[in-house]
Amino acid sequence: MTQFAAYTIIGLSLGGIFALAALGIVLIYRVTGVLNFAHGAMGMFSTFVAWQVFYGTPHPGMAPWAVTAEAIGAGLAFAVVLGLVLELAVFRWVRNRPQITKAVITIGVLLALQSAASLIWKNNQYHLPIYLAPQTSTFKIADVPIGANYVVIVVVALGLAFGLAAFLRGTAFGRAMRAVSDNPTSAQLWGVRVDMVGAVSWMLGSLIAAVAGILITPFINFDTTSLTLLIVDSLAAALIGGLVSLPMTVLGGFLLGLLETYPTMWIQSLGLPRLIALLVILAVLIVRSPRGLPAVAK
Amino acid sequence: MPGHLVRYAFAIVAFAILARLPVGLDPAFQFDAALAIIWAFGILSIVVLTGYAGQVSLCQATFAGVGAYGAGMVVAGMHGGYLLGIIAGVLAATVLGVIVGLPALRLHGITLAIVTLGIALVFDRYVFQDHLFDWFTGGTGGWQVTQASLLGVSVDSRQHLLAAYDVLLALFCVVAVLIVNLHQSGAGRRFRAIRDSELAASTMGVNLTRYKLLAFAISAGIAGLGGSFYPLIAGSVSPQPFWVFTSLQLAAIGVLMGVRYVPAAALGGLFMAVVPDVLTRYGHGTFMNRFTYDISFDWFQLAVGVLLVLQLILLPDGVWGDMRAKAAHAWDRVRMRPQRKVRPA
Repeated sequence: MTQFAAYTIIGLSLGGIFALAALGIVLIYRVTGVLNFAHGAMGMFSTFVAWQVFYGTPHPGMAPWAVTAEAIGAGLAFAVVLGLVLELAVFRWVRNRPQITKAVITIGVLLALQSAASLIWKNNQYHLPIYLAPQTSTFKIADVPIGANYVVIVVVALGLAFGLAAFLRGTAFGRAMRAVSDNPTSAQLWGVRVDMVGAVSWMLGSLIAAVAGILITPFINFDTTSLTLLIVDSLAAALIGGLVSLPMTVLGGFLLGLLETYPTMWIQSLGLPRLIALLVILAVLIVRSPRGLPAVAK
Repeated sequence: MPGHLVRYAFAIVAFAILARLPVGLDPAFQFDAALAIIWAFGILSIVVLTGYAGQVSLCQATFAGVGAYGAGMVVAGMHGGYLLGIIAGVLAATVLGVIVGLPALRLHGITLAIVTLGIALVFDRYVFQDHLFDWFTGGTGGWQVTQASLLGVSVDSRQHLLAAYDVLLALFCVVAVLIVNLHQSGAGRRFRAIRDSELAASTMGVNLTRYKLLAFAISAGIAGLGGSFYPLIAGSVSPQPFWVFTSLQLAAIGVLMGVRYVPAAALGGLFMAVVPDVLTRYGHGTFMNRFTYDISFDWFQLAVGVLLVLQLILLPDGVWGDMRAKAAHAWDRVRMRPQRKVRPA
């Protein structure tokens, strides 16, 4: 029973990360019509920027929490700039192209970011993960010890999901984003600055990807490829939400995290979680939406 | 001269020139030449599937890998002849292609891209690496193919790399001509109808199930045919050459070179095999005795990614498509004919 609870906690935290990564994908897809295969790579690059600040630069006389905050701040700031640069340099120019062309462009971005990160931080080298809370701090609920890092992940995932939903519903800019996602032409006629909305959703999506990337480092083999390939699990979670619904996406992320974690109680296999993700993708696509994805802004 | 005769003549001349081209080179470059054809098969499979039938796939290196492991299993695991190995590799890849094609019956566009990316990742991380599949992958070390003969000719990598290269090249020339012919055939017309509009194609009486599966089968078979030569020229099989990033690179280079054109496949294969090796070997040193530079393998993928983005923004028809359009334009100027629109493939 204790073992089951422990796996549930790991599964929920992993699921929280999938949910976060998927939120960024859904946001960018809905507002700009780009299905971003480079989402994992973008998060990976920003995470390595945070790693570089955390481990690679001297911090004389700073408290540990301040170092962590500085590293995360640097990673997130980089992520925002990266999202803006990609939107301005690439995706603004292809807005009216077919959806599949835009998706292939993101594959180009994925390849470029992955190899650039490999050049800077070396491909198969072991990297120490970034812990938000001290690794030793745990607390117990009904005799099950829970690492503070796991709690941080679940709280951040839920907080960002609700925050994003509140932002989209409650603020003027959020309403503008939803207007663009429903119909960019008529949104423009109503005075919404479509360029601005596109840029902000790229920045926001990239930021969320970076949060997911930084949070997942203790869970996986922290190198440039694993984080890049996280895209498959994130897409599975996003597909559960139909690439539209934020609450369903978060739910899908947690569900996928649990589904991928429970089998490891009995089977030790690095590749098995990927198989589960693929089966979830197939099940969702074939059972739920046989006619493909909902139409979104071109 | 009719079009198809030009094609045959071109294929024969290309074979005659290319067959003896790597003769004097050192073995590493001969290996590159053979590898170039294997990747050219991989990109050719994308030309059929994406360029003709409009189905996006991000797992073509997986098909090649299944071909390689199938051949390795028969030759090294069961001590069969290499011809048998190639047949097994092509069969295994074709079967997988049909299986991948089954979900494609209900999907298209980006959803198919997601599914095939998932398949590439599952084979990379699970099938090619898990002990559950040791019977297929030969365990941790992979299959070792030390000596092999094809129809009585020794073609193993140690001494007879060029023989293997020539066999591969001949096969590529034949398959490439067949694929060009396929474009004009009844099946090719149905593929293009599916690419332009599945709904319209099925209204016109095209059997979507049959022709989508056929496109996947042909495509996977071609990729598997190239891959089944991999154990022969490399001497062993490992998961690394067929991992998910190779699939992504194949798709990227296919699109970059021009996904609708068969010659672009040859161009892309050469690019994909030779450039990384040249970079690894000559990419470091000192320029004019002052500036040291170190351009490693990773720069290749970086360049592919950046070039793909630029190409899709600036030259949507790919490098070969653009060159072809420019050549046609120039030829019209020479003959002082009115400008024509380039015939859509």
